[in-house]
Amino acid sequence: MARYLTPSKVALLALIELYTDSVVPTASTIPILSFILNQLLPSATPKSQPASPSPIDPLPYILDPKAFETLLSTYPATNGFPGRTLWDLFLRKIWHIDSLHALHDFFESGTKLLAKTTEEAKTDIENGIAPPPQAIIILSRTSPFGSFVRRANVEFERLKFNDITALWMSFVKWRQVTRAYWAKRSGGGLSRWAGDNALLNGQIEWGVEETEMLELVAYGTMDDEDADKDPVSTDDVEKVLEFQVEKMQKLGSRIPIEVKDKFRSLLDQSILIPSLSHYLSFLEAWRAGDYTTSFDNLHRYFDYTMQNRDRLFYQYALMNLAVLQSDFGCFDEAVAAMLETVSTARENKDLACLNFALNWLYHFGKAHPRLLSGAESTNMLGVEREGLAFLRIKAKEMGMFTLWSSSLLSEAKLGMSNGESVATVFANVLKSSHLIVDKNMKSMIGPQLAMQSSLWGRLGVVHLSKEYCDIFLSCHAKYALFDDTLRFTCRIAHLLTEKGKYEEAMLIMKSLDSNSLRSWKANQFWKKYCGILTLKRDLHRNNLDGADQLLSQLLQSGGSESDPDLAFETDILHIDYLMRRTDYSGALSKIEKMSAAMREDGNDLNLRIKLLTLKPLLQDKAGRPQRGFSVAVRAASIAWRARLIPALWAAMGAIANILTSLFEFSASSQILASVIPRALECENSTLNAQLYSFLVDAHMGMAGQAEAGSLRRTEHLTKCLEYIDRSFSEYSAVEDIEGQCQMIYKKGTIFMVLGDKFQANECASTVLELRKQWKLDLSEEAGGTR
Amino acid sequence: MALNDRETTQLRAALQETVVKCSERCLYQSAKWAAELLISLPMPDEQSEPEDSQMTEVPSDGPPPIVVTGNSDPEEAQLEAREINQYLLAKSFFDCREFDRCAAVFLPDTLLAGVLSTSKTSNGGIRSNGKGKEPLSERRIKPAVPKLSQKSLFLALYAKFMSGEKKKDEESEMVMGPHDGATILNKQLNTISRFLEGWFLKKTSAMAGEVVGSQGWLEFLYGMVLAKDKNEEDALKWLIRSVHLYPMNWGCWLEITALVSRVEDLNRIARHLPQNILSFIFHIHTSVELYQSTPSLFSSLDQLLGIFPTSPFLLTCRSMLLYHQKDFQGAEVEFGQLLAQNPHRLDSLDHYSNVLYVMNLRPKLSFLAHLCSVIDKFRPESCVVIGNYYSLLSQHEKAVQYFRRALTLDRTCLSAWTLMGHEYVELKNTHAAIESYRRAVDVNRRDYRAWYGLGQTYEVLEMHTYALWYFKRAAGLRPWDHKMWMAVGQCLQKMGRDLEGIKALKKALVVDSYDDAGAGSSFGSGRESGGLMDPEILLQIAAMYERLGDAAEAKSYMEICVAQEEGTGDSMEGSVINIHADSGSEDRSRPVGAGGANNGTGVTAATSKARMWLARHAMSTHDYPRAMQLATELCQDGVEVEEAKALVRDVRVRMEIREESRR
Repeated sequence: MARYLTPSKVALLALIELYTDSVVPTASTIPILSFILNQLLPSATPKSQPASPSPIDPLPYILDPKAFETLLSTYPATNGFPGRTLWDLFLRKIWHIDSLHALHDFFESGTKLLAKTTEEAKTDIENGIAPPPQAIIILSRTSPFGSFVRRANVEFERLKFNDITALWMSFVKWRQVTRAYWAKRSGGGLSRWAGDNALLNGQIEWGVEETEMLELVAYGTMDDEDADKDPVSTDDVEKVLEFQVEKMQKLGSRIPIEVKDKFRSLLDQSILIPSLSHYLSFLEAWRAGDYTTSFDNLHRYFDYTMQNRDRLFYQYALMNLAVLQSDFGCFDEAVAAMLETVSTARENKDLACLNFALNWLYHFGKAHPRLLSGAESTNMLGVEREGLAFLRIKAKEMGMFTLWSSSLLSEAKLGMSNGESVATVFANVLKSSHLIVDKNMKSMIGPQLAMQSSLWGRLGVVHLSKEYCDIFLSCHAKYALFDDTLRFTCRIAHLLTEKGKYEEAMLIMKSLDSNSLRSWKANQFWKKYCGILTLKRDLHRNNLDGADQLLSQLLQSGGSESDPDLAFETDILHIDYLMRRTDYSGALSKIEKMSAAMREDGNDLNLRIKLLTLKPLLQDKAGRPQRGFSVAVRAASIAWRARLIPALWAAMGAIANILTSLFEFSASSQILASVIPRALECENSTLNAQLYSFLVDAHMGMAGQAEAGSLRRTEHLTKCLEYIDRSFSEYSAVEDIEGQCQMIYKKGTIFMVLGDKFQANECASTVLELRKQWKLDLSEEAGGTR
Repeated sequence: MALNDRETTQLRAALQETVVKCSERCLYQSAKWAAELLISLPMPDEQSEPEDSQMTEVPSDGPPPIVVTGNSDPEEAQLEAREINQYLLAKSFFDCREFDRCAAVFLPDTLLAGVLSTSKTSNGGIRSNGKGKEPLSERRIKPAVPKLSQKSLFLALYAKFMSGEKKKDEESEMVMGPHDGATILNKQLNTISRFLEGWFLKKTSAMAGEVVGSQGWLEFLYGMVLAKDKNEEDALKWLIRSVHLYPMNWGCWLEITALVSRVEDLNRIARHLPQNILSFIFHIHTSVELYQSTPSLFSSLDQLLGIFPTSPFLLTCRSMLLYHQKDFQGAEVEFGQLLAQNPHRLDSLDHYSNVLYVMNLRPKLSFLAHLCSVIDKFRPESCVVIGNYYSLLSQHEKAVQYFRRALTLDRTCLSAWTLMGHEYVELKNTHAAIESYRRAVDVNRRDYRAWYGLGQTYEVLEMHTYALWYFKRAAGLRPWDHKMWMAVGQCLQKMGRDLEGIKALKKALVVDSYDDAGAGSSFGSGRESGGLMDPEILLQIAAMYERLGDAAEAKSYMEICVAQEEGTGDSMEGSVINIHADSGSEDRSRPVGAGGANNGTGVTAATSKARMWLARHAMSTHDYPRAMQLATELCQDGVEVEEAKALVRDVRVRMEIREESRR
């Protein structure tokens, strides 16, 4: 395999030459230039993508003559005969290379395209060589074209003779496709040996048969079976590998299956396997969740890159190792490796690495506080906040903007989860946002938007929060890690389920790129989240058996290595499940256990409040609502302080409920009346339904306090009916059968009180209908699954 | 020299036998050569069908044995039959290049060691060993030499020889490295020569002084060993003896060729050679190697080609002849044909590449290099071709790299040494250049290019005495090449030996015109058309005459020089004759220069200089109109215009002064 030069590169050179000959008309300059640049600087691809008219038809990775033809045949040449296109000129150029020597000449002439250095110009003037004519475009030595031409020349110079012959032969083979067209165009047809001067002349001298023999000896059989093997160079392979690695690191996806085989065949051809390919297989194995293989490949990669630079990159190896370990749940090893990274980086004075490692350690500590406690003494970060400040300052000093903005975000997050001033949080978020926009850090957009989205969510502006998610998905998902995309999608799905749009949520989840989902970790997350969504629905529909099945799976997989958010969600659902099973003591003990763990870890305030509000609700279910009073009040006060609006409304609802149970109906209804409009903004149907039902209770109580048959009572009862309807509609939105039935019961009772037997009967039959329908649905679903 | 059918059949049988015999003795190249020759003998094809009865008669000898031939000598045949198993073993070892093991099959090491020490004692060397040990060593050194057939003996000794060569190559390490050179010798030579000496001594019958029953192969080996030992006279003697006993061994002829360094030697030994077709081929080949190119050589080559019409070897000889005659176009065509006929044959393609190099046929040379590289990139010939190509591209480092590779593959690759010298000259590495040339000359003293290159290099270093010596060697090898004489003349001129220098340059002029007349249309040899004299030489001769104070001669030569611009036309003959006469007696007047019809060289730097000189001369002799004419001509030529204009002004002034004085 060639090192750098391939036939397509030769053709590119020819195209550049064509361009410099000024035969390219002005109108077609830009497409041709961008075509060439696309090849020379692969990183330029995305920018030019929107400009190109047909993005669905991407260029092949290795250029064949066809690619050149489609580009060039559309443009006429400026100084040719009418009807001649650039493609003709181009063909003339490449068919003009008619011998090995002409190839040498071709590369030799490449230097003429370059601007002269000042010394050269001077000597030229001294020697009386005229400067090149104005008509020719001269390439600057440092321009992409110029450097390509120079590089090609140097590489050609370096080639051994038989490598040159190999290049020549593959070039001859490469352009063979265009032979028919060129024969037609050049008029009078081509002789048998066009393209090889020596043979062409030899034919006259030696005779046809002998020439054919010589050709066979020299070129071998032209169209043999390995014709489909594209001539690629190590340079190409390296470029592709780099691209793939970058892609994988940036998007966190795996190698697509159809590309994988191609890769393998490419690497098989090459004797010299770039060490990067080991890294690639490491990434691939890592994403695939193949722990041992990825481990093996990582070591192999570093073994191959180690050879010349001693220990200089040791810390990076360690860092990779640590990340890998942690990803596979070997946290102890991960921490050990990362701590060693820190010390090695400090030793080598590699501040960038050091800062990164510390940042990682910080986040790791946040996620797994217990694991790091043992290593706390060696941790130079000290207390959380100081650590973050330290990181931020360091990042600023070093100009590591990513780290800087991420530490700002972390600080914001810390403030948020500790329930500190919202203003400070906003300040941090804005600072980071400014940095990101200023330095155009696409990779940080994800965390930034996630932060903002969750901040607005906590402040109760749910639609804004959703808006951020949508912004990310529609604008930035292309350049961001797939993990981010997944999380945003999950968040949207979550919001949708809160509104009861299960189908839509599942649809969104399913619309994710299946290839990216091949990544093991993402796949796990995705599966769990889908599980949670289904679980929620099952719970709501009272499909407790199905829920049980799902729960047991989710709980099982939710060990220490699972995502903390998911774990919490699962736990909450577990509690819900227990409550629906009326296993109140079980639920209570679970809550107690969780809150104990939370207190120890200093977890997010939002979650704690959620847990706290669950408690009075549980008490309420158990028939002892008053016992939850202090807890509810505490939850409400904390939520208020931390401006956790949705949680606050939930807590207030709990308080109102307790008040109702204490016969403080008017207070309760007042609270609820003021809470509900705001709670509605949160678009959480369950919460709304609950609040409405509390309100119904409060009004019912007030109706009870009023005299029988009085206008007040009727008024309250009508209000009850109204709120019941609202609650019912909210419940039915989330398909909560139990809630729906409850509401209908209540409705029936009210009708009974009002003496409307018919309506009461209607209600009873609706309940029966609902139940029947539900059973039907269940059995249908069961049948469907079976 | 057509052969009749019977002779052809005989020749074919002989060649067949030769191929088998040579390959039996692992003389691969000779076998290849013979086989090539054999196949180029046209078959008496279907036309002889009616004589079917005769045809059935011919194979009565049976098909030629492929692996083992019989031996006409019954004693040898018996021995061979007895040794057949060992022989087969030894041959397969040889084929696997396990030379020592092959030799040990027949001649165990103890025996060879014994040979060495016995001969020492017989030479009367003083024994340093204590007397007590004598019986023991005596016993050891006299192991009975087993009675071996000559074939086995040859194979064993040849294997030993090859092993020595291989070790020598290995010890020499890098090409032109510290160990490379004459210091490393084939260590087995001594053993083999002693052994053979003893063997021949034993076999020689006392009365006739002839070796009885020998079949020539061992003589060949002995000759080869002696040649390696620089004992050339003896070597030649033994080789000729071998050729007499077995004339079909081409390797032996080649060895003789290597020992012949000049035509006189060839003529001297020709009398001692057997008269047969191989000797004829040898004569032609050696003449080609000696750069001879006489019409008689052509005719004899054509005769041979009549017998072997398609023999690549003979065709190569023919192309080489043309090449030496500087008929590059003809040589190119011949080589091209040869290549087309045998596309896989790499032999002598290096010469083809030289031809292409001289003709500056870049695409063709590139194709040839490509072809060679595809066929076998690790053959010295391929490397030389590629090196030549790079040299043509002025990529001298790469060229050197490939020549070195060629030498690593084969240290005796003559053309690679010489060409590498050229490249080193281009790279201004005179030291390395001298060493390369020196090695080339050591390998083959007939290589005039290496001598010439040495001279040139020394000239660059301004060591003219050395340079002169080498130029003279080169001129001695190619007395008909004007370039050599020119070099000699220039060298002499620089050393201030003008008289001799003039002689040499005149010689150059003579051979130049003679060569042109002889070769007819020459191409690319640096001169534009036939019949012209090199103005440069003429200018130099004139300059030397001037220095000698012989103004008249100087002037006449200057005028000839200027005359070359217009060409000599039909007066060429006259000029040649005049020059001839000149070199004899130097007082003759200059030849008539102006011709007309024939186009001349046009204005060159040399003619302009000559014209300038003439103009000044005219000034000094107060021949102002002449000076005026010449100076204005100079102005038109566009060379040294300023000086010419100054001259014109000067002339005008003087003419005016003269006018005035006349008044």
